[in-house]
Amino acid sequence: MLLALAQSLSQDIRFFNVFNYITLRAVLAAMTALLISFMVGPAMIRKLAAMKIGQSVRTDGPQTHLVKAGTPTMGGALILTSVAITTLLWGDLHNAYIWVVLFATLGVGAIGWVDDYRKVVHRNPKGLSAGAKMFWQSLVALAVGIYLWKTSTLPAQTELIVPFFKYLVFPLGALAFIVLVYLVIVGSSNAVNLTDGLDGLAILPTVMVSGALAIFAYVAGHAVFSKYLGVPYIPGAGELAVFCLAISGAGLAFLWFNAYPAEVFMGDVGALALGAALGTVAVIIRQELVLFIMGGVFVVEAVSVMLQVSYFKYTKRRYGTGKRILLMAPLHHHFEQKGWKETQVVVRFWIITMLLVLIGLATLKLR
Amino acid sequence: MSVEMQRKKCATLALGETHMSVANVMATPNANVRFWIITMLLVLIGLATLKLR
Repeated sequence: MLLALAQSLSQDIRFFNVFNYITLRAVLAAMTALLISFMVGPAMIRKLAAMKIGQSVRTDGPQTHLVKAGTPTMGGALILTSVAITTLLWGDLHNAYIWVVLFATLGVGAIGWVDDYRKVVHRNPKGLSAGAKMFWQSLVALAVGIYLWKTSTLPAQTELIVPFFKYLVFPLGALAFIVLVYLVIVGSSNAVNLTDGLDGLAILPTVMVSGALAIFAYVAGHAVFSKYLGVPYIPGAGELAVFCLAISGAGLAFLWFNAYPAEVFMGDVGALALGAALGTVAVIIRQELVLFIMGGVFVVEAVSVMLQVSYFKYTKRRYGTGKRILLMAPLHHHFEQKGWKETQVVVRFWIITMLLVLIGLATLKLR
Repeated sequence: MSVEMQRKKCATLALGETHMSVANVMATPNANVRFWIITMLLVLIGLATLKLR
């Protein structure tokens, strides 16, 4: 909206041409999202607490977490609101990719919102059933996949790029492309949700990965830089830098309230949506495998749950009693059971993410 | 207000700023993370000077 305003004003006042630069708008988006979250955050937390929208804590989880029961949840709505407002303010609304990422983020966020609402307001511990959640997530992901396939005009928009290899590129057919988009969006959405089990554990890695994806999006949308760095040129993808930095800004402000001991949790509304947002940006700019590297913490957390559940079911069927690989799943609870403090687990996972993000960024040059 | 503050009129509850935040009911990890966030923002502002001039 502000871009359109600036463009019309620039006809009389040349200064407003500066808002045509994506870099400036992306930085302003980060600051705007940060300010909105800082300003609205305290009031929202008070409101959530007054409405008794408090987190219920799993009784089979670590005993140290029982004190967290009743902490306001659904704080992810704060992140989504500020990201949506900021993107609409600073993004180019003629750019289709902006609408695609907003659709995926808010669509999956709505699923998480219904799940949280049923859990904490209706006191229904199951919330939305796993099947229903998966169905709606799949619907959103497939819609994105089909749209991206139908609107692709260049081979680069549908190829699978392998990081670190300049010429290793796999052209994908319609089915393979849509399945890949589906797996990346649904997978990252659920992986971030599984990671969101300790104070601040999910949000800072999301901020870091989103910041890095902003750089990738900017490069992918820039004809000269993309050619120089050997990444696929995706016309219009640069605008996603505005969206990505809006997530980083809003996420950083959310961390202010979510740091241990958390005043608010993001809930499924935030975790599912942010994961879907990262996945959607990655598939548009064709950096799914780089997302896999940078979001390694999310990946390992999701894999830990899958392995634990599969192994337990297998041993129960085979030997009559279920055995576990980890002391507790997801992985962060395993380390807590090993004696690490919650804050140690969180900060160490942040450090690992920082390293993974640096490795991901290195793929820009090393190929 | 602490006894020390009442007696001597201190500017902050404790020195440095981190201790003041902790004395002011903020938990240590909370104070740490908030100071990291502020530093991140200041670093970003510093980096922005590369482009904005």
